[in-house]
Amino acid sequence: MLRLLKIEWLKLKNYRTFWVLTILYLVSIVGINFITFWIERKVYEAKQSKGIVELVIGNRPYSFPTVWHMTAYMSSYLLFLPGLLMIIFITNEYSYKTHRQNIIDGWSRNQFISVKIAVAFLLSLISTLMVIVTAMIFGFQLDNPFSLEKFEYVGYYFIQAIIYTLASVLIAVLVRRGGLAIGFYFLYVVVLENALKAIMNRYLDDTGRFLPIQSADDLIPLPIFENIQRQIIKPPEYPILLSTVAVYLVLYLFFINRKFLRSDL
Amino acid sequence: MILTLQNITKFYGRIQALDKVSLQVPEGSVFGILGPNGSGKTTMLGIVMDVLKATEGKFLWFDEQPTPEHRKKIGTLLETPNFYHYLSGERNLRIAAEIKGHGMNEIPNVLKRVNLWERKDSKFSTYSLGMKQRLALASCLLGDPPVLVFDEPTNGLDPVGIAETRDLIKRLAKEGKTIILASHLLDEVEKVCTHVAILQKGKLITAGHVDEVLVNEDIVEVGASDMLKLEEVLKNTNGWSNMRKEGSLIQLFFPMGTASLENINEHCFKSGVTLNHLLLKKKSLEVKFFELTQSSKPN
Repeated sequence: MLRLLKIEWLKLKNYRTFWVLTILYLVSIVGINFITFWIERKVYEAKQSKGIVELVIGNRPYSFPTVWHMTAYMSSYLLFLPGLLMIIFITNEYSYKTHRQNIIDGWSRNQFISVKIAVAFLLSLISTLMVIVTAMIFGFQLDNPFSLEKFEYVGYYFIQAIIYTLASVLIAVLVRRGGLAIGFYFLYVVVLENALKAIMNRYLDDTGRFLPIQSADDLIPLPIFENIQRQIIKPPEYPILLSTVAVYLVLYLFFINRKFLRSDL
Repeated sequence: MILTLQNITKFYGRIQALDKVSLQVPEGSVFGILGPNGSGKTTMLGIVMDVLKATEGKFLWFDEQPTPEHRKKIGTLLETPNFYHYLSGERNLRIAAEIKGHGMNEIPNVLKRVNLWERKDSKFSTYSLGMKQRLALASCLLGDPPVLVFDEPTNGLDPVGIAETRDLIKRLAKEGKTIILASHLLDEVEKVCTHVAILQKGKLITAGHVDEVLVNEDIVEVGASDMLKLEEVLKNTNGWSNMRKEGSLIQLFFPMGTASLENINEHCFKSGVTLNHLLLKKKSLEVKFFELTQSSKPN
C-alpha cells in the first residue's frame, strides 16, 4: 500500500488546484472557528449579560473540555470540501483516461480503487488533525485547564469525515464526469437530503435521521444551550447512530468496489 | 503463444462489438489487426488489457490466466495517449515506471529515442498531438518489454513521424519483440506485419501469415498500343483464372507462382502484338482487404 500511496503522491505533488483548495480548506477550519470564537468572546465579555449567558448557554464553548465538541461541530460544516477534493481527484483520472492507463501499465483494478479509498482516509485524518490543532489553539486562550474529556467528539468528527469522503468517492465512480459529479454531490448534501429529511420526518415517523449524511451529522449535535437542550431535545442515541453510520460505510465500500471491479473502464 | 483469444464476445448494451473472436499471436511475430473504424479493434485490445470486460469468452497471456503482472511486461498504447495534463512528460513517465515497477533509469533514454528530451519538463497539456503520441510510445518502451501493443500508433503524426514510428516498429521487431499492431491503414500493416487478422463489424474474417492471407494470386499487367488485338491474343493463352481491364492495361490473374512473363511475352510477339507494358504484381493488400470485407457483407 505504501508503494501505491507513493504513486498517488506523484500524481498530486504538482497538482496546483488540489493544493490551493487543500490549504484554503485547512485555513478555513481555523477561520470558521475563529468567527464563532470571536462572537463567543463578545457575548461572554459583555458586562450586562454576565451570569445569564452561563445559565442559558453553559460553559464557554471554546474552553476545555467543550472546545473539542465545539470545534468538531463548527468544522463539520466544511466537510463538503474534502469530498470535493476527492471528486476532483478521481474524476480527473476519468477525464484523462489515466484510470485506464494505470491498469494497462500493471495495476490491478483492486489496487487502483483501494489506494483511492486510502487517500480518502488520509484526507479525513488530516482534516481531523487540523481540528485537534484548532481546538488547542482556541482552548489554550481561555482559562480552563487542558482536558481530554469530550475528546470523543473528535473521533465522531473523523467518522463523519470518512462518510463524506467515501460518499464522494462513490459518486465520482458512478458519475465519472467531474462537473456532473460535483453538481450532484453539492445538490444532494446541501439541498436534496435536507428536503428528503423533512419529508421523511413528517410522513415516515422521524426516519430522516437515518439518511446517509444526516446520520453522520447527528453524531455531533449542537454543543451550546446544553442546559436547555437537555429539557427539550433528546440526546443522540449513539448505538443506533453508530450502527447506521457503520452500515453506510460498508455499503459505500461495497458499491465502490463492485462498480470499479466489474464494469468497463 | 504470446496471446490467445478464445471466443471473445462483447456487447455494449444491445450493440455487439465483438462476435466470438478467436486468434493466437505467436512469439516474435508482428501481428497486425486490420479493420475499418468501429470494427472492434480497440475493444479487443481493451479486453485483453482488462480495461473492458468481455461478455463471453476468455483470453490467455503467455499461455497463462491473465494477471496484472503480465501487463507489466507489455508496453501498451491504447487508442489515445493517456497522461496527467498538469504534469510534465518526464513526471508522467515516472508514474508509469513506478506502476510497472521497472524502467526508472530508462526515462531519459526513451525520451531521447522519441525526440522529446528537450521538452521533458513541459506540461503534457502543452504538447502537440504528435508529441503526445510520441510520449505514449516512450512510455511503452519503459522497461524494455518483450511484448508491445500499439493501437493506431501513427495517429496524429506528421509524415516524418509516421516514417520514424514505422522504423521504430521494424527495429523492435528485429530485436525479437512480439508486436501487436491495430490499424485501419492497410499499407501500415502491409509494410511491417508478419501476421494479420482482419476484423469487420466485430467478426474475425481471416487470420494468419501475411503471405497466406494477403497474397494468393499473381497479377500480370499487360499493355500494348492495340488493346483490342491484345485482348484477342491473350484470350488464346491459358493458365489464368480471370481477366480484367484496368484503364489502358489488362490484368491477368494467375494462381500463385504460376505466371510466366516470358511465355506471355513470347506468345504475344508471335501473334503480332508488341507489348509496351508487362509487369508482375503481388495482389495489394488494399484489393484483398476490400475483397474480404465486401464478400462478408450481408446482402
